Amino acid sequence: MALSAALARQPVLEARGINKHFGPVQALTEVNLSVFPGEVVALIGDNGAGKSTLINVLTGVLPLESGTILFNGEPVHFSSPHEARECGIETVYQDLAVAPHLDAVANIFLGRERRQPGIAGALGFLNNPLMRKETEEQLAKLRVRVPGLERRLVTLSGGQRQGVAVARAVMWASKVVIMDEPTAALGVAQTAMVLDLVRQVRDTGIPVVFISHNMPNVYQVADRIVVLRLGEIVTELDPKTTSIEDAVAAMTGSTRFVTKEVV
Amino acid sequence: MSGATETPSEADTSALPPRRPYLSRMSQSFTPVILLLIIIVFSLREGASFLNPRNFNDIIIDSSQLVVLTVGLTFVIITAGIDLSVGSVLILSSVVAAKVMIALSGTPQDIANFQFPTQQVGIPVGLLAGVVTGLICGVINGALITRLQMPSFIVTLGMLGIALGLGQLLSGGTSVPNVPPAVQSAIGLRELVGLEIGGQRVRITPPVVIAYGIALVAAVVLNRTRFGRYTYAIGSNAAASRRAGVNVNLHLVKIYALSGLLAGVAGAMDLMRFGTASVGSHQSDNLAAISASVIGGTSLFGGIGTIGGSVVGAFIPTVLRNGLVITRVQPFWQNVAIGMVLILAVYIDQRRRKAEERM
Amino acid sequence: MSTIQRLAYRVDRRSILRASVFAGAGFTLFAPIGFRAAARQDSFTIAFIQGVIGDNFYITMDCGARAMAESLGNITLDTQGPERFDQTLQTPILSAVVQTAPDAIMMAPNDSRGMIAPIQAAIDAGVPVLCVDTTIDSDIQLADVATDNLEGGRLAARGLAESIGGAGKVFVVNVTPGISTTDLREAGFRDAIENEFPDIEYLGQEYGNNDANVSAQLTAARLQSDPDLAGIFGTNLFSAQGAAAALREQGLQGQVKMVGFDAGPTQVQDLRSEVVDLLIAQHPGDIGEVAVQLLHDFLTTGTPPNPKELVTGATIVTRENIDDPEVARYLYVADCAAYELAGATAVPAASPEATPTA
Repeated sequence: MALSAALARQPVLEARGINKHFGPVQALTEVNLSVFPGEVVALIGDNGAGKSTLINVLTGVLPLESGTILFNGEPVHFSSPHEARECGIETVYQDLAVAPHLDAVANIFLGRERRQPGIAGALGFLNNPLMRKETEEQLAKLRVRVPGLERRLVTLSGGQRQGVAVARAVMWASKVVIMDEPTAALGVAQTAMVLDLVRQVRDTGIPVVFISHNMPNVYQVADRIVVLRLGEIVTELDPKTTSIEDAVAAMTGSTRFVTKEVV
Repeated sequence: MSGATETPSEADTSALPPRRPYLSRMSQSFTPVILLLIIIVFSLREGASFLNPRNFNDIIIDSSQLVVLTVGLTFVIITAGIDLSVGSVLILSSVVAAKVMIALSGTPQDIANFQFPTQQVGIPVGLLAGVVTGLICGVINGALITRLQMPSFIVTLGMLGIALGLGQLLSGGTSVPNVPPAVQSAIGLRELVGLEIGGQRVRITPPVVIAYGIALVAAVVLNRTRFGRYTYAIGSNAAASRRAGVNVNLHLVKIYALSGLLAGVAGAMDLMRFGTASVGSHQSDNLAAISASVIGGTSLFGGIGTIGGSVVGAFIPTVLRNGLVITRVQPFWQNVAIGMVLILAVYIDQRRRKAEERM
Repeated sequence: MSTIQRLAYRVDRRSILRASVFAGAGFTLFAPIGFRAAARQDSFTIAFIQGVIGDNFYITMDCGARAMAESLGNITLDTQGPERFDQTLQTPILSAVVQTAPDAIMMAPNDSRGMIAPIQAAIDAGVPVLCVDTTIDSDIQLADVATDNLEGGRLAARGLAESIGGAGKVFVVNVTPGISTTDLREAGFRDAIENEFPDIEYLGQEYGNNDANVSAQLTAARLQSDPDLAGIFGTNLFSAQGAAAALREQGLQGQVKMVGFDAGPTQVQDLRSEVVDLLIAQHPGDIGEVAVQLLHDFLTTGTPPNPKELVTGATIVTRENIDDPEVARYLYVADCAAYELAGATAVPAASPEATPTA
């Protein structure tokens, strides 16, 4: 019991003392962040607080300047998002990184195509039925429904496209899922779908880093809320004991939060 | 998402019949219908002068080089790039092929006497040299575009001038004389299959086999392989492809290399068909191939296009001009008619596509 | 078309309709219409494939051919051509024209090697081909009718020699190497200067790449090295216009004499506005007339032309003689309204004299 409890307290992904500059602008200052198994960590902050920058540094989109990233307790260095994916860290990017002219299966398997066996495979021939089968199986296991798996994404609504992007991340993530504003472009029902999915992923033991502007959404799914302001982590909130007003105050640095925290 | 928490709008779209994404995309295009309409109109008007096997045989042979260039351009345009250099690369390739062929087919004394004692070596090596020349030009295009982060429009525009100029330099600005006639008589005009249809001879020649063989292989590659998948993915969203682990730059180099290679093949075909390398020809082939591809449904914005559509697109201007010549329409009106059909074909195709897409 | 042919044509059209209904494929097979035994006909169709459409030289040739066709009474002329001088554009046009089953084709081939196979295919389909202006390196064509460009070059030399008083330095702005017509003009020019005018020094030629700007740069450079230049021969439109532009920029217009080749409306305008001092006019109308006459004779008698190579003349045009009807009729036209049948004849190419009408 003690051992498994200790394991449970080891972060899957940990950032220590991350700094990042864009020219003269200090985007991140000594940022520490730990992601533990089976939790949803919400990362909130005003525009320009450094949320996306932090994610990009963690997943290898941007190079690490100073600080350490630990993955399962081991220091790692991701020089591309591909390397992060290889480790089981999947990201849903804010700018919806899908190829809209491909269908959902092709998007889900992009860069990881299954090829046919034998010579045909060596020649690069794709095994489309297998990819479709694996997609259906995986999504069924996660209880995710993506309509029209063989339809090109341009023919789908924005919410359905986001569903594909989320489904792709969830399908491949074995360690961590990072979602950068996954609900920004969505309607009410679609947002509910995504939040549901976030909880399901967490329930399988895979932690989710959830970045959002939408405080009600954050309070619906987060187990822990980390607040970034001007490139620094200012506080951590427990959604069970704090309110949305507290979070907003922390993000903007208004007195109400400070007062309350002091009291 | 868990269960069926779908909005009505999603239920609507998911109720649509699922579409086979790659195979049927061409059939969604209106272009084949336009080609068929053109054929029907000329057939009714001109009868057997137009609608006879020999005429279609001519059209297929006359389109062979354009088809090869269009296949290459289709790959390039699907990645949201452009290759303006194909016509010039074709010219350079044919000049290099001719020069190598002549040099290896006999001593200068032999050649001056129009004797080619070693043409068994000279002709194949010469043709290969032409193809390799095209490949090199294409690799240079791709390398400059990806390494220097330059727009493909500019790089290939530069290559257009460079290849044309080199071709002119090598040839002295004129048709290369003393090409062994066997390249034309024994290869280009060789009748691989000859059919007697309705008293007319229909010939399948090597240029036809090469051109349509290439188109067939390219269609399979684009539809069925990872190479084709990446081609669409990069054109659709290069950044997403890069994040998904696709080596976008390497793939783009391959794409431009392919386009150059096919221009080199078309250059070798020039020698087969005409028995000479002519620097005065092919100077608008780049636009012809681009328009064929676009008429065939390829989107200049990337992500969309098929080889089948492009081949049909290459046929439309050829068939139209053939029919108008047979109808004895004044040449200037032919340009007007072809221009109008091009615009119409692309307009209809776009309307249909927009109706389907939500972007 | 004869009545019988017309009838056959109708039948074909109807059967195509029927056949395409049944076959559904829209592709039915018929023997070509109107395959005919030569001498039995009373009217003929001749297809004229120009070297390039929209060029005054070929338009005038077309007018000559039409005038002759009309005067003969039983010839229908169908004119086609590529939009650029390009064998890959001309070949499909030739193929399509063959499908209309004309009785004969007269054409200006776009490449001397490259057009051999397409012309052979036309001949194989039973259509005789006669080459006008340009030709192919072959003897499959029925005959060749063209300007004697060597003689045209000599005429240019003689005209220029006269206008510079028989002494001084001259040079040639040519197009690009390897074009047989312009190379022959230069050769004829050089030949006449060297053999007939001992006091004229020939400085050689430069290639302006059919570009007025390049031609102007070359001429300006030559004027630097030889400021005492007396005359220039530009072997085609852009060569002459470029050279003339350089003269104007240096204020040497009129001092250095300019000879241009061809007599289209642009060149004539240049002559009248003193950009050039002399023009050598080819006789494209005569080429058209002679070609149609030859084909008519062949189609009615079945006897091929002999000799096979015929040349038409060239004329020196100056500001003084341009309004002389004998000269004016050789100026190229933009449409056939201005063209009158000349009743031209041609001479065998072997003849040393072309028919100068200076």
